[in-house]
Amino acid sequence: MYCFLRLSVLLVGLIASAGSYAVNAVQPLTTADDLGPKVEQPIEFPHDRHAGDAAKGGMQINCMYCHTYARRSIVAGIPPLQKCIGCHQSIESVRETPRIKKLFEYWEAKKAVPWKKVHDLPDFVRFNHERHIQRFVFAQNKPVQEACGYCHGDVKTMTVARRQKPLSMGWCVSCHQKDHPVDATSTKTTHGPNDCWQCHK
Amino acid sequence: MIENSFNRRDFLKVLGWGGATVALSGCGNTSVEDGKEFVTSYVQTADYIIPSIGTYFNSTCAQCDAGCGIMGRVREGRVLKLEGNPKSSINNGKMCGLGQAGVQAHYNPDRIREPLLRNGDKGEAITWEKALGLINEKVGGVKAENVAFLTGGVSGHVKALLKNYLDALGSGHHYVYEAVAPSIMRAANKKAYGIEMPRLRLDKAKVIVSFGADFLGAWISPVHFSQQYARFRKADNGERGVLVQVESKMTLTGANADRWLAIRPGTEGILALGLINSLAAAGLSVPGDVAAAVKDYTADRVSKDTGVSNEHIGKLAALLKERSPSLIIAGSAAEGYAHGSQNATAIALLNQVLGNVGKTVEAPSGVPFPQMAPTPGNRFALQALNDNMAQDKVKVLFSYGANPVFTAPASMKLKENLKKVPFKVVFAHYMDETAVEADLVLPLDSALEDWATAMPEYIAEGAQLSIQQPLMEKLYPGTLGMGDILLALLKQRRPDEYKGYEDFYSYLRSAMVSNKGALGGANEDDDTFWDTALSRGVVKLVGTPVNISSNASAKGLVVPAPFVEDSAYPLHLIPAVSASLRDGRNANEPWLQESPDPLTTIVWDSWVEMHPKTAAKLGIVEGDIVEVASKSGAIKAQVYVFTGIHPDVISVPLGYGHEAMGRYAKGIGVNAFKILDPVFDKETGELAMHETRVKVTKAGQRVIIVKDEGPAGGNQMGRKIAVRMSSSKVNLSEEV
Ligand code: SF4
Repeated sequence: MYCFLRLSVLLVGLIASAGSYAVNAVQPLTTADDLGPKVEQPIEFPHDRHAGDAAKGGMQINCMYCHTYARRSIVAGIPPLQKCIGCHQSIESVRETPRIKKLFEYWEAKKAVPWKKVHDLPDFVRFNHERHIQRFVFAQNKPVQEACGYCHGDVKTMTVARRQKPLSMGWCVSCHQKDHPVDATSTKTTHGPNDCWQCHK
Repeated sequence: MIENSFNRRDFLKVLGWGGATVALSGCGNTSVEDGKEFVTSYVQTADYIIPSIGTYFNSTCAQCDAGCGIMGRVREGRVLKLEGNPKSSINNGKMCGLGQAGVQAHYNPDRIREPLLRNGDKGEAITWEKALGLINEKVGGVKAENVAFLTGGVSGHVKALLKNYLDALGSGHHYVYEAVAPSIMRAANKKAYGIEMPRLRLDKAKVIVSFGADFLGAWISPVHFSQQYARFRKADNGERGVLVQVESKMTLTGANADRWLAIRPGTEGILALGLINSLAAAGLSVPGDVAAAVKDYTADRVSKDTGVSNEHIGKLAALLKERSPSLIIAGSAAEGYAHGSQNATAIALLNQVLGNVGKTVEAPSGVPFPQMAPTPGNRFALQALNDNMAQDKVKVLFSYGANPVFTAPASMKLKENLKKVPFKVVFAHYMDETAVEADLVLPLDSALEDWATAMPEYIAEGAQLSIQQPLMEKLYPGTLGMGDILLALLKQRRPDEYKGYEDFYSYLRSAMVSNKGALGGANEDDDTFWDTALSRGVVKLVGTPVNISSNASAKGLVVPAPFVEDSAYPLHLIPAVSASLRDGRNANEPWLQESPDPLTTIVWDSWVEMHPKTAAKLGIVEGDIVEVASKSGAIKAQVYVFTGIHPDVISVPLGYGHEAMGRYAKGIGVNAFKILDPVFDKETGELAMHETRVKVTKAGQRVIIVKDEGPAGGNQMGRKIAVRMSSSKVNLSEEV
């Protein structure tokens, strides 16, 4: 009797795990593009209008003009509302459009805009923006949009930002294994750290 | 049958499969959560504020009365950790564990969040408008002399506002109460030196003899004294100071001493006079009248009375004679008796004879603004209030910064007398024992979200005004700062004078800015002055000079003979003031409950400290639950057998045994305040904290004490760190 019981328990475990594996097997582990879900934001912020190419009606604003913390801190942060208003209070042409009106409503109520996180890593991963921006933008002189785009995709073509890369560990590592020059002029190469504790502290 | 046969190995196998399932699901991207959490940005912010990087703001610690300067690390608008403010001359950038727990007072889940009005047994939430209106109505409905205000020690602008409010009401009844304040010593110092709280220069002394002053743990300004102590131990000239601690129960300071002398409780004064006599005999010049007064205190007699051996008295006298200046400190152990004043005076006399006055006992700076100078509390204030309540003289009572229902001995019947007061307003952070008795409870901002200024009683250098500023936004919209409440109350009484101030912040700013000349900002514009003051956290003041005198005299100084034994209550109870819990006001901060007592390593409970000889006599071993009964009541707690205590003494720490307050304090340990006997110091009328006699009986149960001490610390696994040596083998003269 009890042998049977044991066997059945084991079988249940086996089936359960096989089932789970099957479900997961549909999603490949590493892909270049892995479009995340659409995220609804309180204000549909048009990244394309702000950062996009001039030819396509964009203002070509540097990412770091608004995401000013990325080069100085482990988090990129969301710009303070004050920053939006700083420009928009003198841009009369769009002052009465619905999104800008909403923006000013938040400002007048002195309330923060409740943005949703689009790129949200699990809490056991510590991703450092500063290190990446310092390396690629400041040491290697890469264009800002290219550097940010390694992880965030082609944001300048999006309206509301959407995750474009898998942000899984395998995906991070695939990049960290590639050699790249130390800085803009050097022929010496290096690659990103592959120690566990770099990200899992 | 199933449980038995399904053994651990099978379980692990199944778990292995299950584990694989979990692991496989983890391989996908399921843990990247898009669009689930909010990321809140600032509306407006300063350039130097960067998300994830801490910014430090200076403020003042409110965990005890020492008033150390602190700086709080603030990240994303939340205060995370406190450090000491290097600009404060009290603590020079250092802090103590009690201060560290300040963040737990702030984030405490048991804080009261809105004003509560009594409705039968319950508190009903009401608006501030209604609460303040009710106070106006109640104080308006009684005679001014029937309004009383009970507070802990106060200073700074809150004190000034409080005084103005009482003046506006016409009531002179401000009772300033501190349960464990060194109030008898203050009175003795006033007589001896003309100053209640002289500056003690531990760093200048070559020998310190401390009569039970736990200056490294819980006494007056422990962080400051600890720093001085470090310089005393490692002086610039390389000479290491010698610390001798004389007390009946070992304190943290006692544990650090070169020589710890267990003295019979209450005989500290006799030893002090005996030392004067020995010094005179050894050739120290002692004024004639003093020499005459102490001539009967021969080493033999003193040794018999105090239990300190002849040999040790001789060595101590030799040490004091050889090394000058020295410093003799009268701590709470010396002053806790009915003759506490005499003990403290005898100790002051010893200082004077040794020529320490003016050298290691210095005059402090006078405070230039008397209306903001500290008003330290004492125990007599509560007795006076209690008497008035008993005689129905109090109709409206305010209580702020005190928890008298918890700290008053049962014999005072304070709780009963409180019931006679028709309207009781309690300003509180928690529903503590006093708040539970109130008719109206007003919730206060935490010290990390409130504005205030403080002038501590003990100031190390010059005079200083410490600024307490909010380190973050309020956690709960329904709390208010004490300054704001007083301002609102003053607006009811003196609208013309106060209506211009929108809140306490604007009052404080304008009060300071309009006095900037006296606050060292004569050449600065208003904004610069104010911003500098806030960024430093302290404003240095030019103190007024104060004279110290050597008035201690032997005239009229009678130190009574040691206690006669009381066969019904054979043991003395020492209510210990621990570095973490003090009088129990911070007991609801779990870090403090969790940090082990430095000597016994016990956590989360009370204990009865007992000498092994006493324990053997009573047939008690560690962990036995005993009943400690005094004439005024009884408590039950676990016994900890410990050699650092006089055999005639047992000790129970204060601060435990709350019946209310919050989840981390309620029901933890027993309240030793309750069983203190109503014995008072003869000169000051202060409750004599160490006068309680008790008997100890086994209650039958035995528990395993929860403590950190164990094989590793207990027997050191043969590593011979700080090897134990019996005290008779230590030769003090060799150590010096
Ligand atoms: S001694 Fe008192 S004021 Fe100073 S840090 Fe400790 S608790 Fe705070």
